[in-house]
Amino acid sequence: MEDIFYWCRENNTIQVRLWLDDTESDFNKGDDHGFSPLHWSAKEGHTKIVEMLLSRGARVNATNMGEDIPLHLAAAHGHLDVVLMLIKAKSDINAQNEHGCTPLHYACFWGYQHIAEELVNHGALVSLANKDGDTPLDKAKALLAKRLHDLAIESGQELKKISIKDNNWLGLKTRSRDATLSRYKGINIEDLKLHTKVSISPSGETWRGRWQNNDVIAKILAIREILPRISRDFNEEFPKLRIFSHPNILPLIGACNSPKHLVTISQYMPRGSLYDLLHSAAGIVVDTAQAVRFAIDIAKGMAYLHSLERIIPEYFLNSFHVMIDEDLTARINMGDCKFSFQERGRIYNPAWMAPETLQRKRVDRNWEACDMWSFAIVMWELMTREIPFDDLSPMECGMKIATEGLRVQIPPGSSAHLAKLIKICMNEEAGKRPRFDMVIPILDKMGSKF
Amino acid sequence: MAQSPKSPSAQAKFNYDQNKDDSSFWEKFSTLGRKKKIKEVQEVQEEGKYAIDSPGKPNAPEIPPEDYNLEDNEQRSIIQPQCLNQPNVRDLLQVLTDWMNDELVEERIIVTNIEQDLYDGQVLHKLWEKLTGNTLNVLEVTQSEEGQKQKLSVVLNAVNHTLGFHHTNPKWTVESVHSKNVVAILHLLVALVRHFRAPIRLPENVSVTTVIVKKSGPKLTAEKFEEQITAVYEDVGMRCERDAFDTLFDHAPEKLQVVKKSLVTFVNKHLNKLNFEVVDLGSDFRDGVYLCLLMGLLGGFFVPLHEFHLTPRDNEQMIHNVAFSFDLMQDVGLAKPKARPEDIVNMDLKSTLRCLYNLFTKYRNIA
Repeated sequence: MEDIFYWCRENNTIQVRLWLDDTESDFNKGDDHGFSPLHWSAKEGHTKIVEMLLSRGARVNATNMGEDIPLHLAAAHGHLDVVLMLIKAKSDINAQNEHGCTPLHYACFWGYQHIAEELVNHGALVSLANKDGDTPLDKAKALLAKRLHDLAIESGQELKKISIKDNNWLGLKTRSRDATLSRYKGINIEDLKLHTKVSISPSGETWRGRWQNNDVIAKILAIREILPRISRDFNEEFPKLRIFSHPNILPLIGACNSPKHLVTISQYMPRGSLYDLLHSAAGIVVDTAQAVRFAIDIAKGMAYLHSLERIIPEYFLNSFHVMIDEDLTARINMGDCKFSFQERGRIYNPAWMAPETLQRKRVDRNWEACDMWSFAIVMWELMTREIPFDDLSPMECGMKIATEGLRVQIPPGSSAHLAKLIKICMNEEAGKRPRFDMVIPILDKMGSKF
Repeated sequence: MAQSPKSPSAQAKFNYDQNKDDSSFWEKFSTLGRKKKIKEVQEVQEEGKYAIDSPGKPNAPEIPPEDYNLEDNEQRSIIQPQCLNQPNVRDLLQVLTDWMNDELVEERIIVTNIEQDLYDGQVLHKLWEKLTGNTLNVLEVTQSEEGQKQKLSVVLNAVNHTLGFHHTNPKWTVESVHSKNVVAILHLLVALVRHFRAPIRLPENVSVTTVIVKKSGPKLTAEKFEEQITAVYEDVGMRCERDAFDTLFDHAPEKLQVVKKSLVTFVNKHLNKLNFEVVDLGSDFRDGVYLCLLMGLLGGFFVPLHEFHLTPRDNEQMIHNVAFSFDLMQDVGLAKPKARPEDIVNMDLKSTLRCLYNLFTKYRNIA
């Protein structure tokens, strides 16, 4: 069958590129054995495709059914350049598969000396035992074992055998996504097994459920009456939110358009929203380094949204509308976009909005610049860990921002760099605010200090 | 009567004015040749329409003697022409014409002059059908005076029946309307407006001066009278099922004060947060601004300023504001208000109170 996995195996770069350019393509999905496109191209050593996938943000630590990450496959098949690329892309160098083997185990077993040396140079442990109690050194032929042993000592590794800690890593692995997730956009409401109501908000009821063995979040939109026009608009608008092609965007998987209910389906994110993470006791410490990483993620997602040559339903950036993935990636939630018929004339989170958003229609303002303003407020939130204008009701807050010049204050003692960036991003003149692609390198530079 | 409907005022179009450029756009779109043809077609159409709609009786400059000849002891009332120029009378005429034109938009009828356009029963016929939703079996167009009077009598019969004149006599007759007696026509229209609770506000206490001419023997006597056309109306809101507010208004005016006071306290508690203060419940809500702001304050959201007119300039914008606030009320789960947006704009106290009370019952406990 000609599909993305086939093209990755056969090194069909042109087809892969075309496929990647389709926003509905989910490059983190896996085939029947959980092999993602990155797994296949790493196994076959197709550097061009690996490079393409990595540059678009494919998950480097996704596991297949045997718990292998792409680095296992590249190491086992002797593709040095791919191994180097994967290491550079922050692969988990000591990842253990279902047998407890690390990439180094395979490099040693198959006698790929260069690869094994590079792995050890980048921190691969020579004495990490697999489930049979064998370390990589046990797997290596004598000469190679000696060489790696010396390298490990050079880099200061303890050579005491580390026994496998089973289950320890179970919660942290990221599986390649179920390939069926992006396959259907129209979902039958009866196929959704909704089991727990998560919340009720003005936009609708949120439920947790199962669909095709995936944990999903279903949002039943609160609509006064589903007129034929609304149903038609919904059908036209929701497929635009099925954006699978960027790691920092959480796509809408699909939707049910039944006569009684409009329901949107997204992937379940156990960590919840950025707002939850920052302002409730989530047990995750968001230090400045993590805050900058979140900001980079959000900026990348927004830059991608702005680069799309199409209009999607309106997305208002704030910490409620950013979801946090299990690996702490921040993702712009397409499920929080507002359909044209949704919440007309009601803005529930004006604190994150630019004054002109509160005053003018979308067509009458520079909405990209308005998003930048909202990004500044999110950065302020990341920096202060406070909720902007928490003491004001939305109506008061909106009126004060729109007509009385109410603005967030940067507390003394804050990071001077971040404070300066926030000020630039919320320039009173929309035209003078930077674009997201201009902000990313600045944040990258800030992030590199940690 | 003119030919094509003029732009329907206020009521009909307050929401969707994006279509207004359509005709000019299509004109530009067509080629010159086609444009010329369209013009020709339009001219022929207008001519035909004029032939159909034009009054059966041309306005003859000479008045036949039976119109001014009086029999012995006959009396006739004539309006003093100058009083038609009084500002409140002109207001009244304008409000009534606008109202008829709004109602009759679909019929492609335009009333320009109350005196000249209503005497033959044609407009009254259509107006009655529109207001009641019934049809009346009379000829559409009559040319002869005899036919006109016959038609008018059928129409007025139906109108009187609707208005409930069974034993008492109305202030108009077939004769007086057909002879274009402005006083009679005004009484008739005002009665219709009141009965159907038209979404307009009539100028209050309008009166006109009439001269009553009486012939007794060879002598003509003339007396001046002030004839009241409109009074003060408490009730201009839409008719609906009787509720507690009707009882309150009719039987317990002292309790009404209490209700008003607690509603003022309630709305001010919230509006004060935005530094606004309501003094008069009847009039302060008519432009819809406070209603929109109040919905945001009570519903816990911000109302984007482009959705309504913060400083409305005319009735149309006020009606838009009130209608928008009604939308918000229904969006947050309140029942559809028992009033028309126009009723609030027309300062119908009962409608305003009903509307605020609705908010009060849902949100009385929020801080």
